[in-house]
Amino acid sequence: MMLPDTLTSSALWFNSLLGLALLWPLLLSIKVMWRHVAAGDQGVVQYLNGWWLSAAWPALGLVLVGNGQWILDGWILGGQWELTALSRAWLMFTALLWALAALHARGYFAHEQAEANAGDTAARRRLLRLAVLWPLTLTGNILLIVAQDIASFYLGFSLMTFAAYALVIHDESQRAVLGAHVYLIMAVLGEGMVLGGFLWVAGEAQVLTLEGLREGIAQAPHGVAIAALLWGGFGIKAGVIGLHVWLPLAHPVAPAPASAVLSGAMIKAGLLGWLNVLPLGNSLLSEGFLRLGQLIMVVGLLAAFGAAIYGVMQRHPKAVLAYSSISQMGMMTTLVATGLTAPDNWHLVWPALVLFVAHHALAKGALFMGTSISEHLPAWPLTLMWALLALPGLSLAGTLGAGMVSKWGFKSALYDNEQTTLIWLLSLAAIGTAALVSVALWRQWQQRQVGKGNGWQLYAWLATLGLALITPVWLPLPAESMPFPPFAEWPGLVWPLPLGVLAAGLVLTLWTPRPFIVPTGDLWWLYAALGRAGANVYGAMVHRLFITKASIVTRALAMETLLMKRLEQLLASDAWMRRHASGLMMALAVGLVALLAWENIPS
Amino acid sequence: MNAAWLPPMALSTSLLAAVVIFALPENAWRWRTGVNLGAALVKLTLVVLLGYRVVEGHRDTFRFPVVEGIDFVLRADALGMMFAGLSSLLWLCTTLYAIGYLEGSPNRKRFFGFFSLCVGSTLGIALAGNLFTFLIFYEMLTLSTYPLVVHRGTPKALDAGRVYLRYTLAGGTVLLLGVVLLYSLAGEHSFALEGSGLEVFLPDYRGLLLLIFALLVGGLAVKAAMVPVHGWLPRAMVAPAPVSALLHAVAVVKAGAFGILRVVYDVFGIELSVELGMTTVLAVAASITIVYGSLRALAQEELKSRLAFSTISQVSYIVLGISLFGPFGTIAALTHLLHQGLMKVTLFFCAGNYAEELGIHRIDELNGAGRRMPLTSLAFTVGALGMIGLPPVAGFITKWYLGMGAVQAGMPWVIVVLVAVSMLNAMYFLPILYRLWFRLGPAHGHGAWPEERRLGHMETSAWLLWPMVATALLSLGAGLFAAMPFSPLGWATAVALGDYLP
Repeated sequence: MMLPDTLTSSALWFNSLLGLALLWPLLLSIKVMWRHVAAGDQGVVQYLNGWWLSAAWPALGLVLVGNGQWILDGWILGGQWELTALSRAWLMFTALLWALAALHARGYFAHEQAEANAGDTAARRRLLRLAVLWPLTLTGNILLIVAQDIASFYLGFSLMTFAAYALVIHDESQRAVLGAHVYLIMAVLGEGMVLGGFLWVAGEAQVLTLEGLREGIAQAPHGVAIAALLWGGFGIKAGVIGLHVWLPLAHPVAPAPASAVLSGAMIKAGLLGWLNVLPLGNSLLSEGFLRLGQLIMVVGLLAAFGAAIYGVMQRHPKAVLAYSSISQMGMMTTLVATGLTAPDNWHLVWPALVLFVAHHALAKGALFMGTSISEHLPAWPLTLMWALLALPGLSLAGTLGAGMVSKWGFKSALYDNEQTTLIWLLSLAAIGTAALVSVALWRQWQQRQVGKGNGWQLYAWLATLGLALITPVWLPLPAESMPFPPFAEWPGLVWPLPLGVLAAGLVLTLWTPRPFIVPTGDLWWLYAALGRAGANVYGAMVHRLFITKASIVTRALAMETLLMKRLEQLLASDAWMRRHASGLMMALAVGLVALLAWENIPS
Repeated sequence: MNAAWLPPMALSTSLLAAVVIFALPENAWRWRTGVNLGAALVKLTLVVLLGYRVVEGHRDTFRFPVVEGIDFVLRADALGMMFAGLSSLLWLCTTLYAIGYLEGSPNRKRFFGFFSLCVGSTLGIALAGNLFTFLIFYEMLTLSTYPLVVHRGTPKALDAGRVYLRYTLAGGTVLLLGVVLLYSLAGEHSFALEGSGLEVFLPDYRGLLLLIFALLVGGLAVKAAMVPVHGWLPRAMVAPAPVSALLHAVAVVKAGAFGILRVVYDVFGIELSVELGMTTVLAVAASITIVYGSLRALAQEELKSRLAFSTISQVSYIVLGISLFGPFGTIAALTHLLHQGLMKVTLFFCAGNYAEELGIHRIDELNGAGRRMPLTSLAFTVGALGMIGLPPVAGFITKWYLGMGAVQAGMPWVIVVLVAVSMLNAMYFLPILYRLWFRLGPAHGHGAWPEERRLGHMETSAWLLWPMVATALLSLGAGLFAAMPFSPLGWATAVALGDYLP
C-alpha cells in the first residue's frame, strides 16, 4: 500500500473534505440546471463540461486525507460518517471509477452534444437529464460508503438507486424503457426488503448505527430471519441468482459509461450492504447463521456457474458482460458467506474480497467502456486494439496483473482454513469467467465499427484499463494482505484460461441457440407472466367485490327509503292527531272523568 | 403565572377575522387579503408564544362554567400545541394559496369567512381542555366546512356536501352519545388528568367503559376517515384545491385523528386502553384502513382522488402509532400528525397548480409536466417520496418509529403492513413521477394541455407557487434535520416522554 493511514490528523480537514465530497456533485447538478435555465428555451450549453467532470474528485481527495469520523447530531436520526479501513478502500475504487467513467462519458456523448447543438431538442433533453442525475447518483454512492448510521446509509442507497434510473433509460428506446422498468421494479422490491429488515432489527435491538446493527442481528431472537431478509434486499442490487433479472436487461441498454458505473460501482453497493449488516467474522454466532452462510454459499456458486453457462449463449456483448458480472458477484457472494461459515478466518478473507471487488470494478468498467471503443475503433493497429480490449478480461480470469494477485489473495486466505473444495470450485468458476470474456470479445469483433471515435472516450478507457491492472498499487489496503503470487503458483492460477477459451470456442462454433430460446433477462419473463396472472386474478376479485358492494349499497338505500316512508307515515299520523287535537282532548277528559267517577262509586 | 387570556385570544383571531370578512363587501379584495394574512400572522405569533410558555412549563388555562358540573375549558398543553402549531402554520400557507387560487372567482367572501371559521374551530379543537369543549368545536368544524365543500355549487359538489354532512353528523351524534355517557358515569373529566381517574370504574363498569370507548373512537373515526366510514372523503374531492389541502392536512381528518389521540391518551389513558383490549382492535382497524386505502389509490385515475385515498391510508398511521403501546409508537403517532400534514398539503397544492395552470385533473394528462412546471413537479416529487417513506423526507422518520414501536409492542406483523404499504405507495406514486419527468407531453410538442392559462411570469402565479415551495422545503427539512431539538420529531419525543409515559 502506498498511502499513509492519515495524511493529516485534523478533524476539520476531514470533515470539510467529506462535506465537499458529498456536496460538490450536488452543486454541479444544480449548476447544470442553472446553466440550462440561463441559456433560455432554445439555448444549448456544453452539458458535460470541465466542472461536471470533476464531480468525483473531492471524494478522491478525501481518500488521500485518510481515516476519520464525523458525528452529525442533528442529521436525520443522528449521523455518523466515517472512513474505516474498509470504507476507505471502497471509496477509493468507487470514486476512481466514477471519475474515469465521467471522462469516458464526455467522449461517448460528444455526438449527442453535437446533435443538441444542431438543434435536436430530444438530445438536449436527454443530455440535461443525464448531466443532472449522474452527479446525484454519485452523491448517493459516496454517502452510502461513508455512512455508518442506518439512516444515512439507507438515504445514500435509495438516492443512488432511484437516480440511476435516469442513466438506464437514457436513450429512451423501447428496450431501454423496458430495461429501466425492470430495474426500477426490482429496486423497489429490494428497498422494501431492506426497509423491513432495518425496521425489524432497529426495533429488536434499538440501534441507529450499522455497527450496532451487526451486533444486534447476532443477538436478536429472530436474527437469522432478519439477516436473510437484508441479504435478499441487498442481493437484488448485488445480482444474487433469482433476483438478478434486472442486470442483463438494464446493462445492454444503458450507455457504456453508465453500464460501467452500474456494474463497477453500484452493484458493489449491494455487496457493501452485506458487509455492513451481516455479522461476518463474529465467532459467537448461533447455528442458524451457519446454515444461512451455507445457503448463501450455495446460491453464490449457483450464480457463478449458472450465469456463465447462460451468458455464453447471449449475442449482445454487453449482455454477455452483464452475465459475467452476475457470475463474478456469485464468486464474491461465496466469499462473503465464508464470514458466516468460517468466522475465524474472516480477517484474512475480507481484504482479499475488497481487492477482488476493486479489481473487478475497474476491470468490468474497462470492459464496458471497451464495448463503445469497439464500436468506434481508432486507426490503431488492429492487433494492438484487440489485445488491449482483451486485457481486462484476461486479468479478470486471473491470468495476469491485479487479477492474479486478487485470485491468489483469496486462494491463500482460504488455504489457511483448508477450504480446498471451495478453492477448487472457484477455480472452476474462473473457467466460466474466461469463457464469458472470450464470447464478449467475439461478439464485439462481430459488431465492430471503425471511426467516429473521440479522444476522451479512448483515453479514459485506457486509463481505466491501466489502473485495473495495477489495482494493488493504489488500493489503500495493508500491503501484506495483497501479496504477489510466487512463480511456482502461476500454473495453478492460469490453467482456467485456456479451458475457458476452448469452451467459448466450442459453444460459438457448435451450438448457438436462437435468442428466443435463451432470452436476455431469463427468469424475468417468467416473473412477468406470473405477475400478470396475479394481477388478473386480483382484478377479477376486485370486480366481484365491486359488484357485491354495489348490491349492498342498493339494498341499504332501498331499506332507507322504506324506513323514511314509515317515518313519514308516522309523522302523518302525528298531523292527523294535531288536526283532531281538540276532539281527542275532549275524549280524554271524558275518559278521565269516567275513570274518576268509576273510582268514586262506593262499593 | 397563568396567562388565561392567551388561549381565547389565539382562538378569537380567526373568529374575529371571520366576522370582519363577512362584514366586508364582496369586492374588497385588498381589505380581505389584509385581514386574512394579518389574522394568520397574529395567530401564528400567539401560538408560538403559547408554545414557548408550554416549554417553560406553564399550562395556560381559561375556564368558565356553562352549567353546574360542565365547564368550558381552553388549555394549552404540549399535545395541543403540536396540533395548534401545525394548523396555524398551514393556515398561513393555505390562505396565501387560496388567495391566488380563487382569483376572480365568485363568492370569495363566503369562502374566506367560512375558511377562517374552519381554522378557528381547528384551533379550538387543539386547545380544548375537556371533552365538552372539544365536542363544541368538533361540531362547529363540521358545519363550517360544509359551505367550503359545496363552494362551487355544482350538483356534484352539492351531492358530495350532502354525503359529507350525513357521515360527519352521524359520527358527531355517536360521539355526543359517548360524551354524555362518560359525563353521566364520571362527571367532568379534564384532559389535564392525562388519563387517570377512570380506572376506579374498571371493576364495576367494564362493559360500559368499553361501550364509551367504542362510541367515542367510532364517532371520531368518521372524520379520521377509517374504513368502513371513509366514504365521504373521496367524494369531498370536488371542493377547491385549498379546501382539499386543508381538509386532508389539517382540519377535518386531523381533527378525527387528534380526537382519537386525546381519547386514548388523555381520557382513558394508555394503560386503561390496553387493559380494555382496545389497542389491538385499533391496530387491526388501522392496518386494514392503511392497506385498503393504498389498494384503492392504485386504481384511481384522477390525481386528486388518488391523493384522497392516499390520505385515508396515511392518516391511519397516526391511529396505528397510538395503538402501539409504548414510547416509540406514541412518538410515531405524534410526529406523523405533523409530517403527514406537511407532505399532504404540498401534494394538494401541486395538484391544484396543475389544475389551475394547465387544466390537468387526470394522471394520464401529466405527461412531461416536469418541463412546463419544474418547481411544482419537484415539490410533488418530494411529497411523493415522503409518502413512500424514503429518506430524507419526513415520512421516513414516521415509518422508522412505527417499525420500532411495532416490535416494542410485540406486534412485528405491523412491519409487514408497513413494507407492503411502502411498496404500494411506490406503485401508485412512481408512475406519476415517471410521467412528470420522463414521458413526453405537450411541453415537448406532443399534443396540448387540457386548458392552459398563463397565470404568472414563472410557471404559475406566485401566490400558488411559494406556499407550495415552503411546505415542500418544510417536509424535507423535517426529515433531514429530524434530530434537531425543535423538529417535529424532537417536539413529539418531548411530548411523549414528558407527558404520557411514566
